[in-house]
Amino acid sequence: MPIREFWRRQPRLLRILAVRLALIVPQMFGVTLVAFLLIRLLPGDPARLILGNFATDESIALYRQKLGLDKDVWTQFAIYLDNVLHGDLGTSPFTSKPIIEDLADRAPATLELILYAVIFTVGLGILIAVVSVVRRGSAFDWGARAYGFAAGAIPDFWVALLLVFFLYTVLGWAPAPFGRMDLMLAPPPRITGFLTIDALFAGDWEAFRSAAGRLILPVATITIVNAGAVTKMTHSVFSEIWDAPFVAHMRACGVPERQIIRAALRNSLPPIISVSSFILGFLLGAAVLVETIFSWGGLGQYAVQAVINSDYAALQGFVLVASAFILIVYSIADILYEIVDPRIRT
Amino acid sequence: MSASPEAPVIALEGLTVGFGGAPVLDGIDLELRPREIFGVVGETGAGKSVLARAILGQLPPGGRIEAGRILLEGRPIDALDAPQAARYRGGRVALIGTNAKALLDPVARVGDQIGRVLRAHGKPDGRTDRRSVRDRAVALMREVGINDPERRARAYPHELSGGMAQRIVIAMALAGEPEVLLADDATLGLDATVQAQVLERLVERSRERGLSVLLITHDLGIVRHYCDRLAVMRGGRLVEVSEVSRFMAHPADGYSRDLLAAARARPALQPPRKSDDRPPIVDVRDLTMHFQVPGSPQPIRAVDGISFSVAPGETLALVGESGSGKTTAGQCLLRLLDNTDGRIVFDGRDITDMKEAAFRPLRRHMQMVFQEPYVALNPRRRVRDLLAEPLALVEPMTGAERGRRVAELLAAVNLDAAVADIRPGELTAGEQKRVGIARALATKPRFVVFDEPTTALDIRVRAQIIDLIRGLQSSMNLAALFITHDLNSVRSLAHRVAVMHLGKILEQGETRAIFESPREDYTRKLLAAELPIDAETSEPASAGSAA
Repeated sequence: MPIREFWRRQPRLLRILAVRLALIVPQMFGVTLVAFLLIRLLPGDPARLILGNFATDESIALYRQKLGLDKDVWTQFAIYLDNVLHGDLGTSPFTSKPIIEDLADRAPATLELILYAVIFTVGLGILIAVVSVVRRGSAFDWGARAYGFAAGAIPDFWVALLLVFFLYTVLGWAPAPFGRMDLMLAPPPRITGFLTIDALFAGDWEAFRSAAGRLILPVATITIVNAGAVTKMTHSVFSEIWDAPFVAHMRACGVPERQIIRAALRNSLPPIISVSSFILGFLLGAAVLVETIFSWGGLGQYAVQAVINSDYAALQGFVLVASAFILIVYSIADILYEIVDPRIRT
Repeated sequence: MSASPEAPVIALEGLTVGFGGAPVLDGIDLELRPREIFGVVGETGAGKSVLARAILGQLPPGGRIEAGRILLEGRPIDALDAPQAARYRGGRVALIGTNAKALLDPVARVGDQIGRVLRAHGKPDGRTDRRSVRDRAVALMREVGINDPERRARAYPHELSGGMAQRIVIAMALAGEPEVLLADDATLGLDATVQAQVLERLVERSRERGLSVLLITHDLGIVRHYCDRLAVMRGGRLVEVSEVSRFMAHPADGYSRDLLAAARARPALQPPRKSDDRPPIVDVRDLTMHFQVPGSPQPIRAVDGISFSVAPGETLALVGESGSGKTTAGQCLLRLLDNTDGRIVFDGRDITDMKEAAFRPLRRHMQMVFQEPYVALNPRRRVRDLLAEPLALVEPMTGAERGRRVAELLAAVNLDAAVADIRPGELTAGEQKRVGIARALATKPRFVVFDEPTTALDIRVRAQIIDLIRGLQSSMNLAALFITHDLNSVRSLAHRVAVMHLGKILEQGETRAIFESPREDYTRKLLAAELPIDAETSEPASAGSAA
């Protein structure tokens, strides 16, 4: 079997990447199909909904023809797929702009928020877990446990409101919870859509300070609420590894503690990767309350608007984009997962 | 040499260590002299490992030095200042532990792991740049007898054999250039041939570098071959300290004499069975098991066309080093693995391609005793439930009946009835083995595969397990396949022996014939690798450096 042999001779990293990237195509197809069918499952005839109760049967039939609803499901799906591939997700009757443009406007806001939030969430979660395992039984350990226990139970909007109340209203340290940047400042030219990064590209320090400052409270909110989950997961993995014979052996060999921690953490990575990717995917929609409180104007708010307005095309577009994002995040996590653990056979 | 009046490198003065209750080490006085190889023998639970950990200043959690001192070159180790203390572990005293695979970081390359230790101790000569550390790590790997060290340095621990991993651990111990090595059952669980190679290498390096070695073991053969002096340990005390040669001739203590007698015992060979015309209960033809491994175009030929048969009531021993395919062959036999080629006939029926549903009723007649009972027994269930579980699969019976059967099984393996109510974790290794055996016998099988039933057991416990199996065989008329590398147990249990090497059977025949006049070189090498306790027998094979 020459193909098989050729495959087995390739470096491990290449094999991991090839498999994962090849899998994205059918997975994306499945996601598109589900997004399409989801809307089909909604009750009611769109033509009748749009034309209203007084429409004649002929006009409805005509309109159905115009919408392509008279064709069979698979032809409709093929048309939909073709449109999606051409970047056409339809037009929203409420913003009267192409949905793809609406999404492209709002996606960077949410992505910027949740990427920073995930970085801090994972960083803080790991830090707390590692310190509490290394100093087992200390006051810090007990505090960390209490936090891990409570964090899952705190609602995010409540944390957000507390932070706004104390840090903005009472103390005046934090900037106002009104959007991503001071309205008096001109936003930097759009390159990545991330205001902090674009401001740095433009060399606009004032814009950077404003954008970064506005990020503090929402990022802090998400971090406080979600770091507990990372802490708990990391704690259970890391403490098991901390008790493993190889850690005791490194210590017996006189390897410095700092390096032992690093090695043990390296061994704990796979579940941390899983939980981080899960949180990142989950926040895309779940950050909506935080977005609302801070008038962030992100994807979550757009999706909620679409639901309230029964704007199905916009909703469909959101579902598609969100699923694609989660798919990419999970694929990256899978790739990292296999890279960090040499024992996984590929 | 050991009579030299030089000051000891390590001295223990009345060392007493406790974990809250009774002391685990009780007033130990011991001197380790320069360039001396000192054996510490004793059975499991004697406190040998705690002794090594105490000297290293790394007691298990909860352990505390309650009295006495540990002196390094005359200075108490708790009086070392911070930089000296940092140098102490690994730099002056290094530990070589048991079960090397668990001692290595599973996600780091072994060369880098040696490098970490080199860096920690600023070896070589304080240079910590990547290149010199790597070169030194490779040199160390070569020194402990690893072939092609440049390539092996890039391997992960799971890609190494047990013997190879043990060599890496030794290299890590040597990396800090210590004066004292503590080898804590360093070769436990390794094949006899590999054990001999690893020990040989370890002792050679230590002599060369002028190290003092504390060789902790439960194998008197090892002590007899490599040590200058020894201490016998029991219940946290040293019952006897003596020169090895004097000890072998005249052990002073009663317990020492028992140990020595148990180690010297050469069981009578199992007499050949009277041949009869009954057809074999198990008949295997050209059994082959190849594993496809990703990342390599060649399959692993774990079992490569072996044929043998076992008559009713007969015991066939399958001996060979680890990696020879013994266990894989046993698992294929019970259809725990689906062999890639060959036929397996059980009791006249070809079971090779039998559907699981048709094969299932046959399973009660063929059972397996797994190698590591602690892994094979569910740690959360009580012994009673573990034994009742297979019974429930066989036929419906009432709770009372089942209770009676469990009691019978426990009695059959000489375990106390009270054991039924505890969990495997609370049992000793020997008791766990017994529960494993009882579990396999629960369905009254006619054929049992014993996978390494005597490895990693103390010598006296081993003898008890062998007696047990022997008794069970004759009382139940069991046919057995006995997979092992412990030749002593083969002598006393097997009617016939098959020698396996690299997936093939090299020779098979009556036990006596194989032991007394082996035809193959490999068999002779295997037999020679046993470390005999008495001087008149041959020296251990210092066979090459291939691991």
